[in-house]
Amino acid sequence: MPSLARTIRSLRRVGIREWWRQLQYIGDAKSGRFVGMDQFGNRYYENRNGEEEVPGRHRWVDYAQHEFNASQVPPEWHSWISHIRKEPPAQDSLLQASSPPWKTPYMENLTGTRGAFKTYNTAAPKIQPWEPKTTSRGEQTSQ
Amino acid sequence: MATLHALRAATRSSSHFVPSSSSVGIHAFRPAASLRSLHVSKSASAEPEKIDWTGPPAPRDQVPVTTLTQKGSIQLRAVMPSNKVEYVLSTLDKIANWARQSSMWPMTFGLACCAVEMMHMAAARYDQDRLGVVFRASPRQSDIMIVAGTLTNKMAPALRKVYDQMPEPRWVISMGSCANGGGYYHYAYSVVRGCDRIVPVDIYVPGCPPTAEALLYGMLQLQRKMRRNRKSMLWYRK
Repeated sequence: MPSLARTIRSLRRVGIREWWRQLQYIGDAKSGRFVGMDQFGNRYYENRNGEEEVPGRHRWVDYAQHEFNASQVPPEWHSWISHIRKEPPAQDSLLQASSPPWKTPYMENLTGTRGAFKTYNTAAPKIQPWEPKTTSRGEQTSQ
Repeated sequence: MATLHALRAATRSSSHFVPSSSSVGIHAFRPAASLRSLHVSKSASAEPEKIDWTGPPAPRDQVPVTTLTQKGSIQLRAVMPSNKVEYVLSTLDKIANWARQSSMWPMTFGLACCAVEMMHMAAARYDQDRLGVVFRASPRQSDIMIVAGTLTNKMAPALRKVYDQMPEPRWVISMGSCANGGGYYHYAYSVVRGCDRIVPVDIYVPGCPPTAEALLYGMLQLQRKMRRNRKSMLWYRK
């Protein structure tokens, strides 16, 4: 629960720089154990102390980008942050064993940019549009 | 009841003051604090000695992929000011965008089951109000229309009329397969094959029905689209 004591405690723990950053991006003064950082530089935290963080808000991410959105969280960390997996990806042996080597690198949602996905078809179309063969007036049609 | 007495006995033996059962209010909960020691699992409040609170700083040299896709694009040239007037105008644009994106008032056009998910977005769990999204019942007070559900031929003139009543600037979110392209009723005789045949659509939210989370993500994508707007700067360049 947000309170003055909790805010001061978080400020003393994380330092004034991180605290200000949290107020700008998260909108709350949080403090918790640093769990890990993904390939994009997003940092993940956890605080399971029920007196400091409300259950449900005890795992959170500090995004690296200014224009952040939830698709910047890669799927491995998504499964950690939404409690699908208990352990973070670095410690989760099952997750590492089940991730195939041919997996493409994850990219965030590029909707609205030039990298947006556009569907295409490599097969020949089954329907051809009608191309009318017209003759102008007065001409003879070849019978 | 027997277990309750046993637990009471356990708390008494641990030399805690246990009020009588006739006491009410906050004192009635006092035994629970001492009962916590009966749990075998380790308490979460017991912290280890050394905790890394902040972690390493985020790497500065990493360029986000959204920046890479913008490199050399018309969009980037449109949003980057090149002189002082454009700097002022783009700042004004940013203020207008900020105001628009932080109070999006959608007109609810709930037509089918998607409307239930749209209501979930308004309810306590997803809580659209924290983004400043408030449903309005009148098209004259709203700037976004969420077309939630199957648009039938009979409803289409009403949809267009409601859209025409909305003040500029206005946006449309097409929610669900039926509104996107007819969906399940694509081959039906009485259904419009996508609401983009009636109104211009900004955001398509896929799903049948999309979750409230997906619709909320669509709202965030619309915010992103609003942030790209540079109307006064384009007017100046022209």
